[in-house]
Amino acid sequence: MEEIMEYLPIILPIFIAEVTLAIVAFVHVQRHPHYKIGNRIVWSFVVLLLQIIGPIAYFIIGRSDEE
Amino acid sequence: MIALQTKDLIKSFGPQKVINHLSFSVPEHSVFGFLGQNGAGKTTTMKMVLGLLKPDQGFIEIFGEKVKYGQTKTNRLVGYLPDVPEFYNYMTPKEYLQLCGEITGMNHKQITKRSKELLDLVGLPINRKRIGGFSRGMKQRLGIAQALLNEPKLLICDEPTSALDPVGRKEILDILSFVKEKTTVVFSTHILSDVERICDRIAILHQGSIAMEGGLEEIKEKHTQNQIQVEFKKAKDMETFLMSEKIASYKKNMEQKELGVIFSFKDIESGEQAVMSAFQDTNIIPTKFELLEPSLENMFLEVVQ
Amino acid sequence: MRAYIAFMKKEFRELTRTYKLLIMGILFFILGLMNPLTAKFTPDLLKNFMPEAIQITITEPVAMDSWSQFYKNVPQMGLIIFAIVFSGMISNELTKGTLVNMLTKGLSRKNVILAKFTSVGIVWTVSYFFCFAISYLYTKFFWSEAVPNLFFSVFCLWIFGFVIIALLLLGGVLLKSSYGSLLITAGVIGILFLINIVPTLMDYNPLMLSSSNTALLRQELQVSDFFAPLIVSVGMIVVSVIVSISVFNKKKL
Repeated sequence: MEEIMEYLPIILPIFIAEVTLAIVAFVHVQRHPHYKIGNRIVWSFVVLLLQIIGPIAYFIIGRSDEE
Repeated sequence: MIALQTKDLIKSFGPQKVINHLSFSVPEHSVFGFLGQNGAGKTTTMKMVLGLLKPDQGFIEIFGEKVKYGQTKTNRLVGYLPDVPEFYNYMTPKEYLQLCGEITGMNHKQITKRSKELLDLVGLPINRKRIGGFSRGMKQRLGIAQALLNEPKLLICDEPTSALDPVGRKEILDILSFVKEKTTVVFSTHILSDVERICDRIAILHQGSIAMEGGLEEIKEKHTQNQIQVEFKKAKDMETFLMSEKIASYKKNMEQKELGVIFSFKDIESGEQAVMSAFQDTNIIPTKFELLEPSLENMFLEVVQ
Repeated sequence: MRAYIAFMKKEFRELTRTYKLLIMGILFFILGLMNPLTAKFTPDLLKNFMPEAIQITITEPVAMDSWSQFYKNVPQMGLIIFAIVFSGMISNELTKGTLVNMLTKGLSRKNVILAKFTSVGIVWTVSYFFCFAISYLYTKFFWSEAVPNLFFSVFCLWIFGFVIIALLLLGGVLLKSSYGSLLITAGVIGILFLINIVPTLMDYNPLMLSSSNTALLRQELQVSDFFAPLIVSVGMIVVSVIVSISVFNKKKL
């Protein structure tokens, strides 16, 4: 427990950053029906399950320019 | 004044000569239709006019100023609408026009005023909707707005209507004929009805050079065929009609079809009278009696074949 | 100049709306935190999960460990993802044809290249130093000891980032595709690795700016050892940008 407290100031920001990225990406996936590749279900899982890399992959190769 | 002039242009891509001694001129305040089949060299010509491609030989002048490849100084006089205009999808039309205005060096007030006017003219609403969600017709309309932003003296449109449905096409043509009051319009197309609707001068491009050029009316007059087409209800009517001696002397220059004939006359008026009196004689009422106008399509086919 | 500024504004609007700025911000933020965390956490982890029977000596982590993580993670994770994200900076516009309008409006081709280079350079600079600042603060927080030559070594890796940006730009202009852009960048980096075989050339290799940073911190190498690779790197950047401009000037659109 004591050790966790020691790491908290560093783990907490990482956790928040990862979750923020995942949420932004997840909301984007839900709001936009078009994807360059893949579909909504695939991207929803990728974005939520693969930390950091999932959302980045979505924004770079999945997100479509069409609204 | 001459808005656009090309002289003896030559352009090859590899071994293929796309433009071959091309010369034409566009007078100010005209709507100039630039016709040609796909691959005739229309887009290549336009790109050279804009300084996006370098001609191998010959020169281009816009309002007396020579076009230099790469340095597109003459482009301040020109508005250009590419065949499929590509915009930044993440922008709104207003933001896009603003970017264009800043690049051309307009001041902030001018840009705001002009964008509003133009979006109004082309019928795009000012809201937060981004270009990424636009239909082809909407993009084309934004393309026109963008091309007109700096009040160009010459507007060049590359096949502005080919990708559109009839409604979209009508809208674009309406906008073009509206702006012809203020600017000279050059547009390429292979849709002949568009040309007939708004152009007053045309040039037909074939295999890299001009096959025909002039005022639309003038060209049509030159190609008047002096032909009359007659159609009948029944084959028997036609037989009786053709037996009439009133038209006997014209039968040499006659083309017979299943239920109709086309007469070609040297003198259209006496020919007309002859046909009319033949109707009276034989007591036959035709289903169709028509003076054939030279259609642009016929002229076009004649020229390019 | 106005056209250049207008196009820069457009670049940043694009970076924001295509989420590239967000991605870089969060990625380098997390990287910045990971360095001290990994350094601190690894020995504890080993201690807790090693079976009792195995006796190993685990040295207490020091600030140096955090910085060697920094020089491992930033070039490997950070720069590679950075390169992938920005590999299409010019080729996307060339293939889509969005530049035609800008150029016919009087934007010069030189300004396109320069605006791309500076805008991506600014993103790199901001995210890199953001990452460094976070690592620095946490490393100070866990271990108060100072590390020699730290700022100079950070500067070296920063310059190396610009080498990558210039190569991406050149590749994009030459091959008109984001894969081509990555390919040329990877190709040049590969050649730099091969150059290391020749000992005399090793001392001039720009690769030193990203691979020998910890040696500098440990004072196995001196600051002056980095002058030659720095000059070569700046030369490479300038040449790449100039070649990109002249190739782009001749490119038909």
